[in-house]
Amino acid sequence: MIESLILQVADEWRAQSAVFDEIFFVFLALGTLVGTIVVSYTLYNAYKYRDDGSDPDEKFDPPVLGELPTGQGGPKAKKLFLSFGLSAIVVISLVVYAYGLLLYVEEGPATDVEEDIEITVEGYQFGWEFQYPDEGVTTQNTLRVPQDKVVQLRVTSRDVWHNFGVSELRIKSDAIPGEYSETWFSGQAHLEEPLEPGETETYTAECFELCGSGHSYMKADVIIMHEEDYQDWYDEQLADAEGEDTEGDG
Amino acid sequence: MSELPPTTSLRRWLVTTNHKDVGIMYTITALFFLIFGGVMALLIRLQLWEPGAQILSGLAYNEAVTAHGLVMVFWFLSPLGFGLANYFVPLQIGADDLAFPRLNAVSYWLYVLSGVMFAISFFQGGTLSAGWTMYAPLNVPMYTPSIGSTGAILALAMFVASTTASTVNFLTSIHHSRAEGMGLMDMPMFTWSMLATVWMMLFAFAALLSVAVILLSDRVFGSLYFSATEGGSLLWGHLFWFFGHPEVYIVFFPALGVMLELFQTFSGRRLVGRKWAIIAICLISVQSFLVWMHHMFLTTINLEIKTLMMATTIGISLPFDLLVFALIYTLIKGRIQFTTPFLFALGALLLFILGGITGVFLGAIVLDYEFRGTYWVVAHFHYVMFGGATALFGGIYYWFPKVTGKMYDEFLGKVHFVVFFIGFNAVYFSMFLGWETPRRVFEYDPAFQTFHQIGTIGAFVLGGSFFIMFYNLAKSYLYGEEAGANPWDYTRTAEWAIPSPPPLENWDGRPSYASGKLEFVQDAVADGGHADGHGESHLDEYPYWDKHPSHASIWPFAFSVATLIFMIGLSGVRDSVSLSLGETLATTALSMSNPVYPVFAAVGPILMVWTAVRWGTEDFYAPPTAIAERWPFHGIEKVKLGMWFFLASDVIVFGAFISAAVFIRVNAGWMNWGPITEPLPGLINTFVLLTSSFTVILALVFARRENAKGLLASLGATILLSFTFLGIKAWEWHHEVYDKGVTLTQNPHGDPIQASIYYVTTGLHGFHVVIGVLIAGYLFVRAARGYYREDQRPLEYFGLYWHFVDIVWIFLFPLFYLF
Amino acid sequence: MASDSIKLYSLVYAGLVGLAALNYVLFEGGLDLAYDISFVGTMVIAVLKTALVVAFFMHLKWENRSLTYLMVLALVLTLLLMSAATYSIT
Repeated sequence: MIESLILQVADEWRAQSAVFDEIFFVFLALGTLVGTIVVSYTLYNAYKYRDDGSDPDEKFDPPVLGELPTGQGGPKAKKLFLSFGLSAIVVISLVVYAYGLLLYVEEGPATDVEEDIEITVEGYQFGWEFQYPDEGVTTQNTLRVPQDKVVQLRVTSRDVWHNFGVSELRIKSDAIPGEYSETWFSGQAHLEEPLEPGETETYTAECFELCGSGHSYMKADVIIMHEEDYQDWYDEQLADAEGEDTEGDG
Repeated sequence: MSELPPTTSLRRWLVTTNHKDVGIMYTITALFFLIFGGVMALLIRLQLWEPGAQILSGLAYNEAVTAHGLVMVFWFLSPLGFGLANYFVPLQIGADDLAFPRLNAVSYWLYVLSGVMFAISFFQGGTLSAGWTMYAPLNVPMYTPSIGSTGAILALAMFVASTTASTVNFLTSIHHSRAEGMGLMDMPMFTWSMLATVWMMLFAFAALLSVAVILLSDRVFGSLYFSATEGGSLLWGHLFWFFGHPEVYIVFFPALGVMLELFQTFSGRRLVGRKWAIIAICLISVQSFLVWMHHMFLTTINLEIKTLMMATTIGISLPFDLLVFALIYTLIKGRIQFTTPFLFALGALLLFILGGITGVFLGAIVLDYEFRGTYWVVAHFHYVMFGGATALFGGIYYWFPKVTGKMYDEFLGKVHFVVFFIGFNAVYFSMFLGWETPRRVFEYDPAFQTFHQIGTIGAFVLGGSFFIMFYNLAKSYLYGEEAGANPWDYTRTAEWAIPSPPPLENWDGRPSYASGKLEFVQDAVADGGHADGHGESHLDEYPYWDKHPSHASIWPFAFSVATLIFMIGLSGVRDSVSLSLGETLATTALSMSNPVYPVFAAVGPILMVWTAVRWGTEDFYAPPTAIAERWPFHGIEKVKLGMWFFLASDVIVFGAFISAAVFIRVNAGWMNWGPITEPLPGLINTFVLLTSSFTVILALVFARRENAKGLLASLGATILLSFTFLGIKAWEWHHEVYDKGVTLTQNPHGDPIQASIYYVTTGLHGFHVVIGVLIAGYLFVRAARGYYREDQRPLEYFGLYWHFVDIVWIFLFPLFYLF
Repeated sequence: MASDSIKLYSLVYAGLVGLAALNYVLFEGGLDLAYDISFVGTMVIAVLKTALVVAFFMHLKWENRSLTYLMVLALVLTLLLMSAATYSIT
């Protein structure tokens, strides 16, 4: 957790995918450990105290039909509180740890905001439209971004409730008509090695909220490009957009 | 009509009001719905065999997904729990029956006929395809146009009427009919779990009813709530999940109750930390209403409330931890018998532990940001809900000998468990492995195909395992060994002290724990005998008659059929009737393309009123328990208590409508809206309604003073005042529509949604006034015929309803006319 | 019943009518009050009216207090829903 606070201050910052991987690993490790212990303990005792047909212990004092219920107190109740206390500590610690990382994810990396690229993602039945900062530059079902900038996504919908998610980048946001929700990612932070000119990395975006008969097919490509390739591509888009403008049907 | 025909006749089952019969009907019907929902699941799993398989079209797949969820959550899980509860809660508390036997029968008939309605919806152009979560605006006709979609939601609304009746019934019974000497803390754990369940249901289902009615208003009348971009989608999220989160505990708690019983019976040890287990159950019930936004972490709600909901979500996992440990420690130093019921209860605990741990993952918002909409969520909730509900099958086996008097086949029971457990984990664990697959899709990343294929095979194994149980129970019912009153070694609760199956009126003598243990006391006849116990006696306040309690009535069934007719009619009204507004009322045209739906929609309510009147005038005798523990609701007459529970849930219904109005208005900018109407008609109506409350209380006073003329005059004045209210309201609406152009969907002076909210909310209130007029009319006729001289209770309870309607107006008036 | 006094109920009715009139005056009576003040005043009046109806007409003043707690619980849940949902979008 302290590490994540430091990360917010320093220049190095982490992709959401890295944050997720860390948290998921911690929870999975602890969850598996706790689960294994509890389940094994239960099965062990269930076996140990099975009725094997032998005579009951003298101290065995089972409930009697018609008695008022009293439950069991004594040493077992103490054990109950100990176990409860331990599990509470584990669960609360996990969540406090997760909270620290939540703040980082919500805030986004400490970059110069002017440098970020803001793209509006508009979901519709059944595809995705991406609206770039410059007027007229929109793409359908393909999101191209440069690797060296933080991309701020504003996600909304044209019709019903969708959800824009890219599993590999570990980003996701609800697309609600009338609302704009936000998420961010950065190719540079996510990629293990930076791309050379001419190289791209492609990820798949899917829809994660049932939106109608085409829900299963609602996919888009997210393509991370070298910054020069991206600039070339973007300039082409700008030229096309202006060209359309002068033709009068922009 | 209070003699019950024998169990071999069909008529018996149509007219019975006995809790044991109703319990059997609920259980068997729920198992039918298990098959229905299960077939839907198998269709889904077949489509998942290969990415992009096209066994079902995209739309049909969504229908299967939706039907699977709705049927399993509503028509299978809870009713199975209630089948067991109906049979055994009265026995466990020492009562003769539930507090309101006919209400119990109507709960059942509304339930099963609502299921029929849901099945019919498949044939009305396809059922709802928006998922069991029915998010907005996918749920409005623009995106899900089929008549069957409306039909499915009407079926759900009818189901909620059924649960509301059940809830009021169980709350009153548990708080009013406990045996002498059984304080709340002395109740068995199954009854405790059911008590917590019905407390949650009282408030949660009221919220569901509101959101379903608002949606139906959008679908049948064309209002704009859920298509409004001023927060319509988020409004659905809040209202639905305010219900939806308590719902998952409502589904789990009956199973938890069974686990708590079975762990004790089959280990021979009493529950460890019993008092704390009860406190944990109460805490969870309260906390269940504080966590709902964890279903909305990826929406545009602010970070502060998300953080709060994360904290409350983690908070609610803590009492569950305690319950899990209490169960485990109970086994220690026991003599555990691995019978079929115990195997299912133990299996349920293990599955619930796994599911619960994965829930903690979902509570950590950052992880939820990725898990949202994936199979992680699906696997999690199947482990906790279905895994938890596994205990209900244990309950079926456990109590089967009591209900039928025969023992089930133990070997087949164990085979069922093994096949079930293997199949269950194959389906749902494979979902964890392939968790990145989005929910409700069949075109997925081929890397996950193996996991999904394992899941499909597992699903068929799981489904098949149930046929082992059906065969076992049928065979044992016909040819099984005689079981006797108490086939288990270490039971404690009262149902095991009577024969198997129990006699119609349960007890020989009156069960009492006053001496410190269960005894059957022989009291003198109820007109004066007053036992020594510290239980409270009703004998002084309640007019007893020297009659045998009634057990049969056809009116619950008849009323439910009438309701079904009405619902069917409503489903198609929008498609077959069109209204074109003219300049004046006279030139407004109504055209009908298909008379069937409108005729049903008109005939249905008439039949509902007629059957309700027959119900009211029927000579049905259901006396309250003469001597009972009632704390904390002592000194309150049975029907009055039921009325107050009902009113508490109606507070939530109106509260949700008012919350919706406030929410949308804040989203649109509070000060951007001014009142749609002039305040004067509203003010006059306020005076009218206040005066009618006054005349209603006068009616009660006159009745108590046996002043017949005063009674009739006050009732008559109340009816006249109600008509005045409705008349002024009609004038007001006419003025708005024809003079100002403000209709349900159009608003020349501002946002159209504002107009929708105005008409729907005041319309709902007006509808309550109409119901009030009908009841008042009925009371007037009865009063004129000489009723209510001795027993003024119907007047008093009508008054409670009427004053409540008045109070709602006290808040609506400023909200719509002044602010 | 001791509480069945027509005089008492008439007094309550008169109080209710007076409060309803006050409601109207706060907003439309030409007093020229700030919106906030009128709003709060109206809500206070509404609560008072409700209290009168619930306590006297619905008889809760004389009934087992547990019924009052039941209705308060319902009210609290409603307010929880209303305030949390509304806050979440601010």
